Amino acid sequence: MSGPEGPAANASELLEPLLRPYDEKRRAELVAAYMAVEHAADPVPEVRFAALREPALRRTLAQMLELSGRTLIRTSRGHWTSGYDDAVREALAADPACTLPVADRAVLVLVLIHSVAIPRAEGLLTDDTWLSPYPAPLEELRRRSQLTVSELEGALRRLRAAGLVTQVKAGADEASGGYVPGPQFHRLTEAARRRLTEELILAAGPDSPLAAAIRARRRGMRRGRT
Amino acid sequence: MTEVDPRVLARARARVTGPVADAAAAPVPAGLVGVTDGERRWALPAWPDGATPALLEEYQSAPMPLERPGPLRRVLAAALRCCWRNLDDDPWPGRPAQIADVLEVHVASVRGDAELMRRWAVGDLRRLADTGWLLLDEEAGTVRLGPRTALWPPESLPPLRALLRRMPPPPAEGA
Repeated sequence: MSGPEGPAANASELLEPLLRPYDEKRRAELVAAYMAVEHAADPVPEVRFAALREPALRRTLAQMLELSGRTLIRTSRGHWTSGYDDAVREALAADPACTLPVADRAVLVLVLIHSVAIPRAEGLLTDDTWLSPYPAPLEELRRRSQLTVSELEGALRRLRAAGLVTQVKAGADEASGGYVPGPQFHRLTEAARRRLTEELILAAGPDSPLAAAIRARRRGMRRGRT
Repeated sequence: MTEVDPRVLARARARVTGPVADAAAAPVPAGLVGVTDGERRWALPAWPDGATPALLEEYQSAPMPLERPGPLRRVLAAALRCCWRNLDDDPWPGRPAQIADVLEVHVASVRGDAELMRRWAVGDLRRLADTGWLLLDEEAGTVRLGPRTALWPPESLPPLRALLRRMPPPPAEGA
């Protein structure tokens, strides 16, 4: 059996070299910030975490995250979370065990089109955020997803549990309910956000000049690598 | 593509997949905690200095929201009541219980229409299994505690034991 001492001790060894130089107080601040950016649903404010406020501690925190392929992400002034490092993300996306089932992906794309892409095209969402107050109506997901009701429900249940979508209840003022992108979308790096935007352009307007430009740039990048 | 250190990638992958059963003898990637029931082993995230995500409370930061958190906790308690029989031991690995027994304990400890409570509890059991808190074998009709329960720090167990002692016993107990 695995008592907590044995394997857990082995596990803290990973971070020990980074934590060792610090006194007890600093060490506890680093651990608190580490747990907060990794496990809180939303970005956490730096006013509550010394290790996020102070640049030297923040560098150590970034190194702690790096050991597990994670990186520190500033989502807005004074708010931080963590996400996958770009190279790690690419490697994970190539691993079938790490990608979502195709039905889940289809539903997620529909949510993104209705709650982010369309409002952005209408000028309702301006910056490059992937969060949105405009829910994709369930009826629209039913109609467009080509999935049976139970497949759609299963996909939405898994997406909700993963924090990839959030359900918005219909309001009393006849505001319609539905689904918006979930808190995980805070955890995208700038490169991941850009990539997602590009993929959506390629899917929604494959013949547009913008799509042609994206394809040309990617061809250039691939040549640059080889 | 930038080469990623395979040890780093193994730890990142564990976060994506959640606890996945492997052969008991399979090596545990460095920096993860291996939890075994003798036959299988799961690699779980490792947290520094004995911290757990419960630490978020001290900093007024909300963890990932749960759906139906109240019922979910009560169903987990019913499963614990049935699988963690010897409360002097650690909960993990416990022993398998009949799903039907867990549902009976649950129905006996909540108010409401029994048939409805049972049906909802089956959904809650599935969601607890999705997240590694329980191991569910619906074909065999059995449930076991999930590997995550092995990470509960010893100081968190006394209130849990007290709670379980107050709950109704599983139907087959003493049989």
